[in-house]
Amino acid sequence: MDGCRSGVPTYEGDLHVVAAAHHIVKALGATKNLSDDLRKILIDLDSHLSMITSNIDSKGGRGLVDVEERLDQAERKIMRWETDPMMIWDSGPKEASDYLLAVDETGKLVDGLRGLSVHENRKQKEILHRAMNIFQTAMSRLEEELIHILVRHGQQFEPKNMYSRSIRKDIVYDESFVSVEDEPTKETSSQNCSNDESGECIVDLVHADVIPDIKSIAKVMFTSNYGPEFCEAFISVQKEALEQYFSFLGTENLSIEDVLKMEWTCLSSKMNKWTWSMKIIVRVYLASEKQLCDQVLGGLGSVSSYCFLEISKATILCLLNFGEAVAMGPHRPEKLLRLLDMYETLADLLRDIDTLFSEEAGSFIQLQFHELLERLGESAIAAFKAFRVAISSNGSLYPFAGGGVHPLNKYVMNYIRMFPEYWNTLNLLLKNQHPGVADQVTKPDYGPDTSLLTSCPMAYHLRSITSCLESNLHKKSQLYKDEALQHIFLMNNIHYLVQKVKGSELRLFFGDEWIRKHNAMFQQHAMNYERATWSSVVSFLKDNNPGSSSMSKSTFKERCKGFSIAFEEVYKTQTSWSIPDPQLREDLRISTSLKVVLAYRTFLGRNLAYTDDKCVKHTVEHVENSLLDLFGGSSRSLRNSRRW
Amino acid sequence: MTWSKGGTICFFFLNRKAGKESRVSVLRTSLGPSPLNSSQAILSSNTTLFHCKNQLQQKCNAFKRKPSVFLGENQYQEVIMDTQEQELEDIELFQKHVSDRFTELSSPPEDDALLSVSWLHRLLDVFLCCEAEFEAILIMDRDPSQLSKPPFDRLIPEFIERAVKALDICNAVANGVDSVRHCQKLSEIVISALDQNPLGDGHAKRAKKALLMLLSAMNLDDKEGTHVKATERSWSFGRRGVNKEQIAGHFRSLSWQVAKNWSSAKQIQSMIYNLVAPRGAEASGLPSPIYTMNVIMIFVMWALVAAIPCQERNGLPTHFPVPKQLNWAHSLIGLQEKIADEWKKKEKKGMSGLLDELQKMEKLAQSLIDFTDSFHFPGDAEKVKEAAANVSELKEIFGRMDQGLTPLQMHIREVFHRIVRSRTEFLDVLEKGSAPVV
Repeated sequence: MDGCRSGVPTYEGDLHVVAAAHHIVKALGATKNLSDDLRKILIDLDSHLSMITSNIDSKGGRGLVDVEERLDQAERKIMRWETDPMMIWDSGPKEASDYLLAVDETGKLVDGLRGLSVHENRKQKEILHRAMNIFQTAMSRLEEELIHILVRHGQQFEPKNMYSRSIRKDIVYDESFVSVEDEPTKETSSQNCSNDESGECIVDLVHADVIPDIKSIAKVMFTSNYGPEFCEAFISVQKEALEQYFSFLGTENLSIEDVLKMEWTCLSSKMNKWTWSMKIIVRVYLASEKQLCDQVLGGLGSVSSYCFLEISKATILCLLNFGEAVAMGPHRPEKLLRLLDMYETLADLLRDIDTLFSEEAGSFIQLQFHELLERLGESAIAAFKAFRVAISSNGSLYPFAGGGVHPLNKYVMNYIRMFPEYWNTLNLLLKNQHPGVADQVTKPDYGPDTSLLTSCPMAYHLRSITSCLESNLHKKSQLYKDEALQHIFLMNNIHYLVQKVKGSELRLFFGDEWIRKHNAMFQQHAMNYERATWSSVVSFLKDNNPGSSSMSKSTFKERCKGFSIAFEEVYKTQTSWSIPDPQLREDLRISTSLKVVLAYRTFLGRNLAYTDDKCVKHTVEHVENSLLDLFGGSSRSLRNSRRW
Repeated sequence: MTWSKGGTICFFFLNRKAGKESRVSVLRTSLGPSPLNSSQAILSSNTTLFHCKNQLQQKCNAFKRKPSVFLGENQYQEVIMDTQEQELEDIELFQKHVSDRFTELSSPPEDDALLSVSWLHRLLDVFLCCEAEFEAILIMDRDPSQLSKPPFDRLIPEFIERAVKALDICNAVANGVDSVRHCQKLSEIVISALDQNPLGDGHAKRAKKALLMLLSAMNLDDKEGTHVKATERSWSFGRRGVNKEQIAGHFRSLSWQVAKNWSSAKQIQSMIYNLVAPRGAEASGLPSPIYTMNVIMIFVMWALVAAIPCQERNGLPTHFPVPKQLNWAHSLIGLQEKIADEWKKKEKKGMSGLLDELQKMEKLAQSLIDFTDSFHFPGDAEKVKEAAANVSELKEIFGRMDQGLTPLQMHIREVFHRIVRSRTEFLDVLEKGSAPVV
């Protein structure tokens, strides 16, 4: 475009030189202390120059006619669109390039004519004025065309297509902590946005085909000093598109007050959505927007980053404000994982943000991001602490029926099973957190077993959490009057704890020693149970005088009756108890069987003489079979059931 | 951070021996020679305050020991009396500072008109200073359990609730500053179009287009749902059917909203609701600075809403009851009345906001649009001269906005973060105070 600025300059250049020389001569002539010779020379020169000027003027007159013709031509090209209902860039590339040529021509004429303004020529002034008028019309039109192109060729994209929503094997605990006592927690599987997205994906926010068109409009407008108009139009369309996309993602503006009052389930889903939107907006949308700005406004200095900032700032601040509101909210334990999600998302995006807003003007956004990250970290730690407090202070008034796995235990273990996924973040956040004195006891003394994982801050805190849990469970076990049931309860719960640890990545953090110790612990409770329940029952079967061969019939009868009553009593009570884990239940039955059935068989065998139907109520097989009914969770009675 | 009561006493005791320094006066000295003229240090105020708080805490730490180390039983009693006296002194000093600061605000120096951008900067500085002192009086060195007893168990949660409302206002106003910045950008086009000699019809046309957009951007304020979207501006279909006014209209973006149906006027109303000056014995104790801070917070938020276009300002209260006999409140009440009068005028005329620069810009835009409407090359010399004067005034306003608006947005954000932090500190105190003894 620049290459064809040839017509006017020669003519114009001549005029300039002559006019300048004439001016100098006139000025020199006006000075007083000149020699006569010099004055004469100047007067000659003056008349020469006047002649040249009048020559050029006549040529210039012809020139002006040329200029006027060229302007007429350009005007026709430009003004015809003012009455045309079609948009120029929609009408075809030829129309567009013709129009741009006409604009360029007008621009050149304006420039050229401006240079002539030293001459007080009415005609020239008039043409210049007309040219500028046409030029303004054209600029205004270009602005409209720009908006039209941006809107018409703006690309809609579905977030799903853009972002692989990989599934994170996740059990989401969205229930609030307080509901633990009321109902057992459901394990809900849910899709979650993965945080291992590798590549950014950049899309064309505006169809790639029209980028050159936009660029050419940008070029003309900026060189003509209409940059502000271009920015104004560009920013408003792109800003609106971003906002539309934002609401398309289902993210609405919420006041802080609203967020603080929000129900947990609702807040949780908003937090999830935020995490997801944040990634898409920053990684995909803003990265693409940045590319568009750079493509269109590339060589124009800071214009590109200025436009990008103006387009994205409001939306980014909206997202940040939600984050602030969440971080401000009450630090409930159930918020922890969602907070960690948000924290990790932000931490993950920091580099992108720092690149996108690398210019000085964008440092404000950068700063806000960093501040929010810090605040979310603090909030997560607070929620972590609240989690511990909630575990210790979870109280019950009544014993948990059946002695099975307590809901608190389930909640806590299923919750912390997620922690290894946040290992790095938690370690980072927990590094400076010292748990209270109460958990000093949990400090592991694992000797050579200590690996890196079992001694990291998270591992330490995990063990402190389970130790809180254990002591709470001990407290809960005290609510049972029956000592045997206390042991069943603790056995069940510690077994559950161990199973959860063994069956997940938690085992890496708890370590083998911890598992061994806790295995032993629940086995101890099983033994204690046997002792508490069966010692007295089996005592009926014991031979008081091992020396003598047999006991008297009356003693045998008494013993038999005692055993039956005791056994039936145990049967009635303990069928209602529960051991949810089938393996554990089986193991305990076998070991009970071994103890009781063996003793019973020996007892009967030794007193074969008295074993008539009347006095031996239960056969060995009956006893053995009955034992299978224990811990089924529903009470039964041997006296009523006549199944043998 | 927790401070034992013992520590408090000691700190005060030693301070008094050392020359009767109080919490507030420590704060004041740390703030530098003139906290009242801090508008100079607009952006550094936050760091200054932080710095001063840190210093204060270090000082407190230095004296944090058990009283028995130094004091006998009699002295101990004496010190408790001293502490109460000291507290009264602190409160008095705090209120004196409040009064001084607002007096300063109500007699702005030249070039710093009421509700101008730079005045708003000073207003925010006053808020930050008062807030820091307030926190020092209420939280620092205080036994948390004191604040969880009546009447504080009511006053502090109420204060916290107002603070949350203030946060939403901060966001609304920060968004509003963006729309003022938009006006500023449009005025830049007007300036570059009209700052020409000789002025042609093309220039006038260019200016007029920008002026129409400018005026409509200003007047879209408050009216939701009337905005013309950029997409509509492009009138891809049958573009000639759209009139010029509509083309000029600028859309009001969604992000301008704090939330759907949110209203800054209602927000202020609900902040005022239930605000009662302490009476009787409470009037001289700690409840009084809490009330003072409430009033300051409401006033600052109210003034911001009045000055800067933001979501739904219809029905903005023009009055909130502050008893006139309160000494510290004189200047504040005076300012409030002045601004309220302006607001009433605005409501009648339907202007964009009380921001000094915006009002002036609006007036200039009006007369420039008249000028561009009737301008025909070469134009009436007198009128052209007048327009040139208007343009140079517009340039001056543009310059002030250019300098002040982005920092104002950051300043508002700073206030936002401060309120968040102070809220957290108060919540911590309440939590500690009400925690059951384990």
